[in-house]
Amino acid sequence: MKKIMLSLTALFLLTTSAFADPVRVGYLQSDIHQLPFWVALEKGFFEKEGVTVTVAGVFKAGPELMSGFSAGVLDMGYVGAAPTITAVANKAADVVMLAQVNTEGSALIVGKDSPVKNIKDLAGKTVAIPGFSTVQDALFRKAVTVQGLSLDRQKTIVLKPPEMIGALRSGQIDAFIAWEPFPAKAVSMDTGRYLLYSRDIWKDHPCCVLVAGREYLKKNEDQAKKIVRAHMQAVAYIKKNPRESMAVAVKYTGMDEKTIQLAMDNVKYTHILSVAGIKEYTDFLRNLKYIKNDDQSFADRIMLPDFTEKSVK
Amino acid sequence: MKKEKFLLIVVLIIIWQVLSLLKVFPPYKLPSPVDVVRGFGDLLIAGTPPGYLLHKHALYSLYRVLWGYGLACLLSIPLGLLMGWSKSLHTMLSTLVDIVRPIPPLAWIPIAILWFGIGMKSAAFIIFLGAFPPILLSTISGVNSINPRLIEAAKTLHAGEKDIFFKVLLPGSIPSIFTGMRIGIGIAWMTLVAAEFTGVKEGYGLGYMIMTSRDLQLPGEIIAGMLVIGVIGLIIDKGIRIAEAKIIKWN
Repeated sequence: MKKIMLSLTALFLLTTSAFADPVRVGYLQSDIHQLPFWVALEKGFFEKEGVTVTVAGVFKAGPELMSGFSAGVLDMGYVGAAPTITAVANKAADVVMLAQVNTEGSALIVGKDSPVKNIKDLAGKTVAIPGFSTVQDALFRKAVTVQGLSLDRQKTIVLKPPEMIGALRSGQIDAFIAWEPFPAKAVSMDTGRYLLYSRDIWKDHPCCVLVAGREYLKKNEDQAKKIVRAHMQAVAYIKKNPRESMAVAVKYTGMDEKTIQLAMDNVKYTHILSVAGIKEYTDFLRNLKYIKNDDQSFADRIMLPDFTEKSVK
Repeated sequence: MKKEKFLLIVVLIIIWQVLSLLKVFPPYKLPSPVDVVRGFGDLLIAGTPPGYLLHKHALYSLYRVLWGYGLACLLSIPLGLLMGWSKSLHTMLSTLVDIVRPIPPLAWIPIAILWFGIGMKSAAFIIFLGAFPPILLSTISGVNSINPRLIEAAKTLHAGEKDIFFKVLLPGSIPSIFTGMRIGIGIAWMTLVAAEFTGVKEGYGLGYMIMTSRDLQLPGEIIAGMLVIGVIGLIIDKGIRIAEAKIIKWN
């Protein structure tokens, strides 16, 4: 009897330790920047690292994903750097950035037959952004202010990217700025054309990052390292296997190959945190009065640029 | 003004502030009353998003409600009176009404955006859909609840159909109509705020404002915005009650 109890206990401990709590990850719906996550899921990179992942939420925009952290339903997330900074600065969530996911990869789209030739022509017109404090919001305002135009004359409204294309087509808005593949979709649908790629506004600007809740990270650093390793492998995979990666993107966005090809041409995948770029976002958001945090060391505390190196040691 | 009315509210606020001071809940989940007041100040003076002030958000929302609700009243009250009066009309239309009624106005949003875009018209349409059924049904029930003896009495006095309609049915239904109107405005106001969540072309609206506060992760503002919406709803309701009292008196 004792032997049976002992072996049952051993079996129990073995199985429960093998099945540690899965990591709850969130990402943004149909956002091709998040392709590394989808690739890692499809190609089994997480399993190979010995970690189980559960998709705890698919969100329509960055600020909503950050609410997931506030609500305690996420351990890690693929999300834009700008909404992350806003949420942490306004003390709505406590996360740290472990790795970069992509740079560039957004675009400003106008109607196909629109008379708008450059950003100056957009003065006083209605432009849609995916949400306040998103990367696209920051990019658009940067584009406007760099041209010396006043932001006051700009009518910005919030629409979720899937709605932007329809709104552009029916003339409700004059332009939209969104993450790929929505700009590409507008073009391949013959509804819009590229006015500005985000790299034209700010070369190599950081976009999505892989973040983790600070409390979660403290208790599960090894698990987080596994996720980051899988992420790094996925980034490398995309660079070496564009066709297979495209197939994964088609599956997760539901869009056609032509659109995805166009979209992926506009995105740069990397795991190296753009520290300078993220600091620049912080200053910009502060100037826009989105964040009421004057702490200059804030940006340093939110990033862990050595984490990717630590993960592969 | 009775003191007891406010006693409960004051006690709740005090408990709330104490809970916040003791940090029972994290401040981003439950901002303290002080945070909410601060949030209200920000909405009023700085605006959310910055530059878009509270009073303009409120005015645009009220304007949308006026359109949708006004249209709903204009169509549902006469139709309700006629349907209450004419059994055959009632039979013809009631099935259609009963099918459309359970569809939540918010479920119409994708269609509304396709038909009317993201501006004033589609918001007014959603509000119309929310307000129409309760006003219609209350009006019909108001007609049906009129004591049939009054109608008989009118007939024995040789009153024509038109006279019965305007002098017996209409005045007799007024209390029910007003009940329906108060329910309708409540639903209209609630529907408006959620309808604005999906995007408004003008860039102003109370629901849109709350969504922006959420985007900027400012829970104090979110709750302040919710309270503003609640208070405006209360004022509108009181307004209708006053109008009702005046009209009944005059009747």
